[in-house]
Amino acid sequence: MACLGSSRLCARAEKIRQFHRNIASTALSTRSFRSSSEQAASSTGLLRRCQNFQNEHNCRLNVARVMSSMQTQQPGSLPDYRIDPYQLLEDDLKDVYEDIKRELIGNTTNEELRTIATYYFGGQGKALRPMVAILIARAINYHKDRNGLLASQRQVAMISEMIHNASLIHDDVIDQSDFRRGKPSVNALWSQKKVTMAGDFILAVATMMIARLQSDDVTLTLSQVITDLVQGEFMQLGSKETENERFTHYLTKTYRKTASLLANSAKAVAMLSGADECLSEVAFQYGRNIGLAFQLVDDLLDFVSSSDAMGKPTAADLKLGLATAPVLFACERYPELNPMIMRRFQEPGDVEKAFELVHKSQGLEQTRFLAKKHCVEAVRLAQTLAESPYQKSLFVVSDLVINRIK
Amino acid sequence: MSIKKSVLTILQRKNAISTLLCKKYNLYLVNAPSVSFGCNKFSTKAATSQKPDWNRAVSEAEKIVGYPTSFLSLRWLLSDEIANVALHLRKLVGSNHPLLKTAKSLIYNGRNNMQAWGLIVLLISKAAGHLNVDDMEEDKAAGVLHSQRALAEVTEMIRTSHLVHKGLVNIQPGLYPEPSELNDMTFGNKIALLSGDYLLGNSAAELAALRNQDLVELMSSAVRDLAEAEFIGRRDSQNNPLPSVPPADRTNYAVTEWTLRNVLSAGALLGKSCKGTLKLAGHNEEIQEHGYNFGKHLALAWQACLDLSPFITKDRNTPFNVCSAPVVFHIEHDPSILMEIDKGIESVLNVDYTKVYDIVISGPGIELTKQLQREHSQRAMEVLSVFQESDARTALSNIIAAMGDF
Repeated sequence: MACLGSSRLCARAEKIRQFHRNIASTALSTRSFRSSSEQAASSTGLLRRCQNFQNEHNCRLNVARVMSSMQTQQPGSLPDYRIDPYQLLEDDLKDVYEDIKRELIGNTTNEELRTIATYYFGGQGKALRPMVAILIARAINYHKDRNGLLASQRQVAMISEMIHNASLIHDDVIDQSDFRRGKPSVNALWSQKKVTMAGDFILAVATMMIARLQSDDVTLTLSQVITDLVQGEFMQLGSKETENERFTHYLTKTYRKTASLLANSAKAVAMLSGADECLSEVAFQYGRNIGLAFQLVDDLLDFVSSSDAMGKPTAADLKLGLATAPVLFACERYPELNPMIMRRFQEPGDVEKAFELVHKSQGLEQTRFLAKKHCVEAVRLAQTLAESPYQKSLFVVSDLVINRIK
Repeated sequence: MSIKKSVLTILQRKNAISTLLCKKYNLYLVNAPSVSFGCNKFSTKAATSQKPDWNRAVSEAEKIVGYPTSFLSLRWLLSDEIANVALHLRKLVGSNHPLLKTAKSLIYNGRNNMQAWGLIVLLISKAAGHLNVDDMEEDKAAGVLHSQRALAEVTEMIRTSHLVHKGLVNIQPGLYPEPSELNDMTFGNKIALLSGDYLLGNSAAELAALRNQDLVELMSSAVRDLAEAEFIGRRDSQNNPLPSVPPADRTNYAVTEWTLRNVLSAGALLGKSCKGTLKLAGHNEEIQEHGYNFGKHLALAWQACLDLSPFITKDRNTPFNVCSAPVVFHIEHDPSILMEIDKGIESVLNVDYTKVYDIVISGPGIELTKQLQREHSQRAMEVLSVFQESDARTALSNIIAAMGDF
């Protein structure tokens, strides 16, 4: 995944980071970040806050920021440089998997449970969820004139990956898939009962970590994710909805199964940063839109990606009887897909026929368009935050999501 | 819809039965105070001499804390997801999936019934009373806090979730050569997994709503313990436990082995729930620890009583667990019985149960198990003497006494 950054970009990112560190100690250079009028408005807020500041030095700094924002730079939302977020957050992310493993291992003395519970941590995972959580956390901290990352925010990043992993493990029991993250899946190696219990174990340890953050609101936000995940699975079981409701059903399911985790962990890190309701909502909506786009692209790739690039076979969703966005779009053009959707592609030839019709229709383009819309919305939300390398990276994440090939 | 109706009918019927039983209430109250709590030499024997009946002890106790605790489950039984599950369950009727058996045992399973766990939590809440709590938080009629009632519900949900997850089937290649049977089993596993997750997710959400992070951590650690319990010791292909091979020095082998398993699988949850409810009531750490010990010892006494029952009924065909207390005590006495038990290394079904039964019944196992149960009952009773005399305390001691009554 971390393939975008060519060496030139990396060098640039390094420069930005250097630059970012300098902000703390020296007055801001004349380089301007702010562009839209909306941000100019928020910087008057900064000005007001600045007047209350005791620290002379900090105050001067902020004035400089406000002044610099008066002049606009380039139009449009395109950033003038590209930062690879994985590169930018390298220090934050490099030990996430190790720390999760340590946490899990510390909670049991049973070797077998340790092995199963830590199996998926440190494989070929993209660590998308911790990355987005940390990026949002740093962007919001910066927006609130604070530098760095709180330990509690990093915990949330770990927790989000743990919840995701627990759900993957339970998915494996249900889907009977043989490969995941480039290795044999857990259910191919251990019995269903043990795998199920290992999933429960990871979830329990994650909930304990949530509790240790000692924040009622964060606990409420993150426990919502767990109920959403299960309800999403339940929605995937039944296809009793009518044609009209089907798309709403699909989107709700997608939100619950994928976007809720990104959205709520973004909200949690914002709350830990002391963000007000409005700012937490920006974080939440950013995560939600990225999550929806991510899943839409995932559903799209299921139709175009070759089996070795995906790490799972093509048209896997169809084979599982699931009608995803490309099929639902295609069905507007080819109504003969309707009965196949209703019988969950169970009859011989259904999968092949549906696959062919999706490719003949505009389904794939329409799916990409919808994903793009969510990405644009995510970028718009990120623009309301103060300019920083982290905020810029939030734009890049949306590009990564839409342009990914696996 | 029809499912919701039938669930209601079942519950109403159950209620009718408890009303009938409650008519004996006055009579029973006359008997109850004759159990002396004041003296420290309080023994189970005194209580047993009254021949208290299990069902009566439970239904009297239910009356003390307000409505029957089985009503706690009403809310989640009537939710859409569970209605959905019930629909799917119907598809499994006729198949061999153990989920049906689990579902049946959830409605009624004699001494092991689920409601009793929540009931114990409510009774100890009432027996201990609460300090410095807002009037609005109290359910005046029942003498417990709303939050304690919620915790009792969480306890039941966690336990149910664990039982449902334990009820999955390990599907080994070739185990079900018939495709339709394989389908049933896979589908049953899916429903069992999701239902368990649903309960676990909801219990996490409900705990979060109590806004007490120490409690969230405590209860999550109980979930962790339950999961860990499934990895302890030797297992057959369906994850049924087998007693471990004793070391050369067998002193204390039985008690260590049995306690390790059962503290994790039962004692931890009830102990931590009782501790948690005292935490909610504002009691100090010391009292909370008493709560933990009460719950733990009660659960262990309960387990010893369950382990004992197949060997008491004089019916040689009653199924029993090869890790139950009478068997492990016999192993400590004479490990040659392992020759027979180890035939179950592939599947415990290969063990000749009548043979093991005959060996155990002629050895010291039963007497030692009775002693074990008495010890734990005694310990639980000792904790009770810490609290002031009340109808709730009487009910708890009646329940403990009823366990020893065959």
